[in-house]
Amino acid sequence: MLRSRMRYLLLSSCLFVLFACSAAYKQMQPATGNVNGLQKFKPAITVALYNTQVDIVGNHLSGLLLIKKMPDSSTRMLFSNEIGFKFFDFEFAPDGSFKVYSIIKQMNKKSVLKTLRKDLELVLMERLDSSNVSVHTSDGLLYYVFPQAKGYNYYITDSTGDKLVRMERASKKKTVVEAIMQNYINGIPDTIGISHKTFNFSIGLKRIER
Amino acid sequence: MRKIILILLVLVAGITSKAQYTGYTPVGDLVKFKADFAAATLRTNSIKSDFIQEKNLAMLSEKIISKGKFWFKKENQVRMEYNQPYQYLMIINKDKVFVKDGQKENKISTKSNKLFQQINKIMIDCMQGTALNNPDFKTRVFENKNASLVELTPLTRGMKELFRSINVIVDKKDFSVVTIEMQELSGDNTLIRFTNKELNATIPDALFTIK
Repeated sequence: MLRSRMRYLLLSSCLFVLFACSAAYKQMQPATGNVNGLQKFKPAITVALYNTQVDIVGNHLSGLLLIKKMPDSSTRMLFSNEIGFKFFDFEFAPDGSFKVYSIIKQMNKKSVLKTLRKDLELVLMERLDSSNVSVHTSDGLLYYVFPQAKGYNYYITDSTGDKLVRMERASKKKTVVEAIMQNYINGIPDTIGISHKTFNFSIGLKRIER
Repeated sequence: MRKIILILLVLVAGITSKAQYTGYTPVGDLVKFKADFAAATLRTNSIKSDFIQEKNLAMLSEKIISKGKFWFKKENQVRMEYNQPYQYLMIINKDKVFVKDGQKENKISTKSNKLFQQINKIMIDCMQGTALNNPDFKTRVFENKNASLVELTPLTRGMKELFRSINVIVDKKDFSVVTIEMQELSGDNTLIRFTNKELNATIPDALFTIK
């Protein structure tokens, strides 16, 4: 029970850090950095199970998120509750395409799917196109900026590029989503947090040892 | 050519829908089975057991296995405590459901939550033996030497969207539930296997209290 409480507190504190962060896009200055260095933060998942807490506008949902790399190099993400009821099953293909294998009726809305897809793509780090990246600095941090169809994905490291401080999804002006990945064990983050800035929606993942 | 493929598909579908379960044969006297089942469940006032839940993800070739403790007490009271590899508690008491995941607690009225209403009904129906008379399902029963397999095929729209069928295997000795298998439309399934069962053990009401 104590262990579970500690894990929960750790996750809560990570989510708090996310809320406390603020975008510094205006102060950014051009800089140089090694975009290939970001690859070490990409979750090296063959298969991993995460205890999952979702809070959305006052509603709480918990369950298990299974992430699996498939033989065709696509990544499947399946979210079910603890008693086995499946909420969704998504596929992220290496070419950037996205497939919904199943989703419950209550979640099957275009805006929900779009949000989940973008949030999960941000942390999967599958498509870091080095030909299309720019590097900036602000507050002693390096910002690797990847333009998206709408807005930008930011991967923010410390000045040496040794630590992934956070990730952000942003419009041209403001941060939409902040995310963290921490405590990597064999290339797989133990803790993942995703927090929306424009409405009350957060996802907390804590890896389960099987 | 298309016609031939269509005919073949219809034939295969026909054969599949009539498929039975390996090692099981249809129960001849369904009325007697129902009467025996009802009598046995009438004698069972409580069940205490361990359980192993296996979520089989066919397309992902993966299994998620979890374990825990299970308590059932008449009328309509169930407590499931998952303790491996995660902590999760679910208490069903009449039409109320309490869940605790990590540090979060949640009370749900099954009157307002369709999903829990359905889970509640399935669980209680299976334990109390009332599944056979549930009008929401078409029932077929098969048997082998030691066990009976009750196949419940959903008839209502809501349940049809969730499950292809729910198969309940009961021990012929005491008609207690051995496994519940929930078959999803995708080919995935969830299997709950009950072990170390104690029938009519004394179970304090406090285990089912929803504060």
